[in-house]
Amino acid sequence: MTRLHWSAMIFMGLAAIVLAMPIVVVSAAALNGGRTMLFPPEDPTLARFVEFFVSEPVWRTALYNSTVIALGSAAIAVLAAWPMAYWIWKRSDTGSKALAGLAAMPFALPPIVFGVGLGFMWAFTGGLGTIWAAILSHAALFVALPLVTISIGLQSVDRAHLDAAATMGATEGVTFRTIVLPQTLPYTASGFFFAMVLSFNEFIVMFFVSSSAFSTVTLQIFNSLRNGFTPTMAVAAITFITVSVVAFSLVARFGDLPRLMGADQTRD
Amino acid sequence: MSSQSIDIGLSKATEPASLALILGKAARVVFRVLVVCFCLTPFLLVIAISLGEKIEGAAWVWGFEFTHYERFFVGADWPNSYSGIYLQKLWYSLYYALIAAPIAVVTAFPFTYFLTRLTRRAQTVWLIFLLSSLSLSEVFIAMGWDVLLSNRSGLPMVLRELGITDWMKATGWFDVARDWGLASPRDLKFKTSLFATVLTMSYLVWPYAVILLYPALSRLDTSTVEAARTMGAGPWAVMRTVILPTVRIPLIGTTLLLFVFLLGVYVSVTVFADPSQHTLAVSIYGSVRGSTLNAPFGAAQSVILLITAGLFLVLSQILVSYAEKRR
Repeated sequence: MTRLHWSAMIFMGLAAIVLAMPIVVVSAAALNGGRTMLFPPEDPTLARFVEFFVSEPVWRTALYNSTVIALGSAAIAVLAAWPMAYWIWKRSDTGSKALAGLAAMPFALPPIVFGVGLGFMWAFTGGLGTIWAAILSHAALFVALPLVTISIGLQSVDRAHLDAAATMGATEGVTFRTIVLPQTLPYTASGFFFAMVLSFNEFIVMFFVSSSAFSTVTLQIFNSLRNGFTPTMAVAAITFITVSVVAFSLVARFGDLPRLMGADQTRD
Repeated sequence: MSSQSIDIGLSKATEPASLALILGKAARVVFRVLVVCFCLTPFLLVIAISLGEKIEGAAWVWGFEFTHYERFFVGADWPNSYSGIYLQKLWYSLYYALIAAPIAVVTAFPFTYFLTRLTRRAQTVWLIFLLSSLSLSEVFIAMGWDVLLSNRSGLPMVLRELGITDWMKATGWFDVARDWGLASPRDLKFKTSLFATVLTMSYLVWPYAVILLYPALSRLDTSTVEAARTMGAGPWAVMRTVILPTVRIPLIGTTLLLFVFLLGVYVSVTVFADPSQHTLAVSIYGSVRGSTLNAPFGAAQSVILLITAGLFLVLSQILVSYAEKRR
């Protein structure tokens, strides 16, 4: 590993500062004593945290909805992604590939179009404005993420183990349970965390699906946009960035993040 | 006698197995239908409803007419008068994305290159940071830049306190800033401006650019770089003659993907762009849920955005397969 030139380090440092700047400013604004977003904060207090997590039911309900939708949709996305990724790995036929391509479409195309379409679909089926429709919508939107991570995981399964299992007469089910599943578990978890974090932060699809019947944290923030940002919203931002950092740190702790992102694994 | 018992044994064994097989096949079919339902139906509905008929003062009914597309391209009052207002909105969608995507790629490229030269451990820490920033909701990012660019506590305040605003007024640069829409008569202001919109959009996709360029750059063959260096090539020559040609395709592919992503951006445009320069995404939102309430027209605009995005995605796919064939 070569040492970076000093100018390269400065460039990376600058990039980090610009990347962190809006996040830092928003986080600091959460400490404002007044109702306006000022930086640096005036009259610092932690009262906004109490408001967000405890005393204001609007934010509490929104956070609850966000959490339920994020966890539920990520779980469904992982469950739906598994068979698709497995079929591609096992058979790699055109049908399986087409199915996976279809599943990746909502993520690849502009989310606003998918949101409009989902809004129509749930209006016809009576799901508009319900939490379960929101969970299914986000599962469809983010199924592409576990699909990718699980596929990467399946490619890393040791073929020698599979051959050994086959020679000893293991059925497909037994091989799956004892070899494939344990070896791909970190990748499955990564897919879950990716889908969860993105669902937590998603706004536009949820806007069309919720139809103002319920609100999530991001919806609540957008609705309050016309009246200007308040420090309580900044607490939401801190909460969200913390969840992301924890989730991705877990992915890195139990899996190989550079490999998951497509790094060359032969080099170190 | 013995053969008979074997026969019975076999048939007993195959019966539940075949039942499981049928159930398994049925589950597979149901699963496929569900995937199609959730991932394809919304798009098909948008296309179908875009052909529907809007009833004045009421909702809409199914139909087969192209009036909404006609309105998009030539205006509602055609042929009496022409209005290209929606074409202009599409142009703004393309325009912002056209500026912001290359800015993000050009600045993310050297960063990603340096990132892949770090140790695996350092890369992991950077990736956690990048992914957290990438997944951060657009509403929070708009909020952060809103504070950073606000007159009271953001960049205009910093420039004023540092005396740069006064210096600009003295040297005439202030008038240039006014011409560019970056100043009110008395002070610099960045909301609303093209600068603020493009800045936020570039920021929004920057971590995506790094993540998308990361695989190609981390698989870069370092021996060719080292060989070029040993033969006396400077860092710029190496970049131009060795690195850039090998990652040309991923570079263009990334730009196209970011471009498609930016076509649908909604929050940043509503917060930072002047209402006269809003994009198609904002207009879709207005038609479907907002003040104008015309679902078929909203759907027609969505179809046009979908086709535009689809064209660029297909283009990037062609590019990738072309590159793979040449390899």
